Amino acid sequence: MRILVVEDDAEAATAMVRGLSEAGHEVTHAVDGAFGLLESQKGGYDVYVVDRMMPRLDGVGMVETIRKGGDQTPVLFLSALGEVEDRVTGLKAGGDDYLVKPYALAELVARVEALSRRRETGGVQTVLKVGDLEMNLIARTVHRDGQEIDLQPREFQLLEFLMRHAGQSVTRTMLLEKVWEYHFDPQTNVIDVHISRLRSKIDKGFDKAMLQTVRGAGYRLEA
Amino acid sequence: MKLPSLFRRTPFRLTLLFLALFVATASAVLAYVYFASASEARTRAEASVQGEVDSLTAIYRTRGRDALNQALVERAIRNGPYLYVFKDAEGRIITANITDVPDGVQPGQWESFRLTDTDEDGRVRRRQSIGVNTPLSGGEHLFVGEDIGDIEAYLARLTQALWGAMVMVLVLGVGGGLWISRGVERAMAGLNRVVTAVQEGDLKARAPIRHSGDELDELAEGLNGMLDRLEGSMASIRHAGDAIAHDLRTPLNRMKAKMEVALIDAEAGRTSGVEALGVALDEADALLKTFNTVLAIARLQAGGSPEPKVFDAADLAADMAELYEPAGEDKGLEFAAEIEKGLMIDGNQPFLAQALANLIDNAIKYTPEGGAVMFRARRRSSGDVEFSVTDNGPGVPDGDRERVLQRFVRLDNSRTEPGSGLGLSLVTAVAEAHGGRIQLDEGPGVFDGRGPGLRVALILPAATRAPEAEA
Repeated sequence: MRILVVEDDAEAATAMVRGLSEAGHEVTHAVDGAFGLLESQKGGYDVYVVDRMMPRLDGVGMVETIRKGGDQTPVLFLSALGEVEDRVTGLKAGGDDYLVKPYALAELVARVEALSRRRETGGVQTVLKVGDLEMNLIARTVHRDGQEIDLQPREFQLLEFLMRHAGQSVTRTMLLEKVWEYHFDPQTNVIDVHISRLRSKIDKGFDKAMLQTVRGAGYRLEA
Repeated sequence: MKLPSLFRRTPFRLTLLFLALFVATASAVLAYVYFASASEARTRAEASVQGEVDSLTAIYRTRGRDALNQALVERAIRNGPYLYVFKDAEGRIITANITDVPDGVQPGQWESFRLTDTDEDGRVRRRQSIGVNTPLSGGEHLFVGEDIGDIEAYLARLTQALWGAMVMVLVLGVGGGLWISRGVERAMAGLNRVVTAVQEGDLKARAPIRHSGDELDELAEGLNGMLDRLEGSMASIRHAGDAIAHDLRTPLNRMKAKMEVALIDAEAGRTSGVEALGVALDEADALLKTFNTVLAIARLQAGGSPEPKVFDAADLAADMAELYEPAGEDKGLEFAAEIEKGLMIDGNQPFLAQALANLIDNAIKYTPEGGAVMFRARRRSSGDVEFSVTDNGPGVPDGDRERVLQRFVRLDNSRTEPGSGLGLSLVTAVAEAHGGRIQLDEGPGVFDGRGPGLRVALILPAATRAPEAEA
C-alpha cells in the first residue's frame, strides 16, 4: 500500500514513516500542506495521513483542495485537538477518520489499513464470509461451519465490523468509536470483555480460533 | 479645532442636544400659538365689526341718514369699542370718533392699520386696529373699525414670557447638564480605573458600587462579576497547572528511575531493555492521559459545556449499561440497570458519556468480588435528570466525600488500584459545566459483611429547548 504522510513535526513524521514501513507499506513524507498537495497530485496513493496543524497550508485546507479536485483517496486526520467540534470540522472537510495525538503507532497502522480496505468494498454486500464464518446481513444470522451462532445485537455489530476488516488489526478505540459510536476513554478495558464473550460464541468448540488478540494493538479476525 | 474637553463628554453633549431640541420645539409651539391667537383675534374682531356695520346700515336703510348720524353720535358718546368715520358723498366728515379714515382704505375692503392715540398719561400709542369702509346708497361712506391692540399686547407679553422661560431652561439645563455630566464622569472614572488596573494585571481591582441601582451600577456589578469569574478561572488554571506539575513529577521520576536501571542492565548485557521500554511507554501513556484529563477539566471549568446538543440521555445510559455490564459480571459483580425513558438533556454527549463511564468504572473497580452495582437513570420530581451508581463496596467515609471530588485526591485504600485520582473531578467539572451537580451518599448500608457502599448521583437540568433536526 502507498501512503502519503503529511506532517510538519519531523520527529512525529519519522516515527510514523518507520511504523508504517515496518507494517509493510510504502511511505512518502511531505513536510507541510502545500508539499502534501503537490505530492498528492502525482497520484497513486492509497491513503493520506494528514496532520491538521501545519504551516503554510493546514490539513483541513489541503484536504478541501484535494476533494475539490475530485481525489477521493481516504484521509486520516491527525490532531492534537481532541474536541468534538474539531473532529466534526475535520470530517466535514473530507476526512474519513480522525486520530487524536498522542496515539500508539499500532493504532495509526490499524486505522490506515482499515481506511484502505474501506475503499475496496464499495458495493452493497448482503453476506459477509470469512473462512467458515458466514454472516447474513439481511436475515441477521451468523453461521460457522453450517452451525448457527446466536448473537446479541451488539455482538452482531461487533462481529460485522471485525469481518469487514478481516485479517487486519483493529484497536479497542476503533471498536468503541465505530461499533458503539462513542468518543471517550472507558478507563478499563470494557471492550476486552465484549470481545471475550464474542470469542466464546464463535470460537468455542471449533479447532481454529478465529478471533485473535494482537499484542499491543487489539484484535484480528483470521480466516 | 479642538473642542474644550467638556464638550467631548457624552452626558454634557446629550444635555446640549436635548436643550437644542427643546428650544426648537418651544419656538415652533410659540410661533403656532402666536399665529393661531392672532388670526383668531382678527376673525373675532372682524365678526363683531361686521355686526356693527350691519346694524348701522340697517338704521340707514330704514330710517335714513340723520337717524344713522344720531345713532353714531350716541355710540361715540357711550365710548364703545368701535371706531367710526361717517363721510358724505363729497368726502366731508359728518361724524367721527377718530381723526379720519386711515390712509389707503378702499371702500368695501378690510384693512389693518395702526391707530395713533394717546393714553391717560398723554403718551402716544400706535395701536393695532382693523376696519372696513362701507359705501352707502346715498353716496356716503361709513367706516367702522375696532382697536385690537389689547390682544396684540397680550400676545407680546406671552412671547416675552416664553422667551424668558426658554432662557431659564437654557441656564438650568446647561448647569444641570454640567452637574449630571460630572456625576456620570465620576462613576465612569471609577470603572475606567478598574479597567486600567486589570489591563495592568491587577485582577483584584473592583469597581465601586454606588447603590443607586442605575445602569452604571449595573455595569459596575457586571464588571465585578466578570472579574470574579475571570479571577476564578485564572486561579483554577493556575491550580490546574500546579496540580499537573505536582502529579506528573511522581510518575516522571518513576519512569526516569526505571529507565536508568534498564540502561544499566542493558549496558551490562543482562537484558535487551525491551521490557523496560515497554514499561516506560505505558507510563508515558498514563501521563499523557492524566494531562489530557486535567486539560479537559480546566476547559470545562473555564467555558461550560462545549457544543451543547439536545439528546436523549436514556439512550446514552442504556449504551453505558450495555457497555459496562459484561465488565461488571466478569469481575463477579451483580450489575443491574434501571433506565427511565425519554430523559432529554442539553449538553455535550461525549463529556457526559465520559462522566457516566467514570462513575460506573469507579463502582466496578472499588466493589469487591461478589458485590453488586446498580446503575439508574431517572427523572426526579423536580424535572432534573439523575444518573446514579450505587454499590455495596466499602464506600467513602462521610468526612472524605467532599475531598474525593478534588483533583488528584485518592483515598489510602484505593492507591493499589490503577487510576489518576481525576475521575470524580472530571464528573464534577462535567456536572458544573452543564449547570448540574454531583452528590455522594452512603450506599445500602452494612449488610452481610458488605457495605456500607456508596451512591454517587450526577444530577443535570432537563433540556429546555427542543432537539434540533439532524442535518
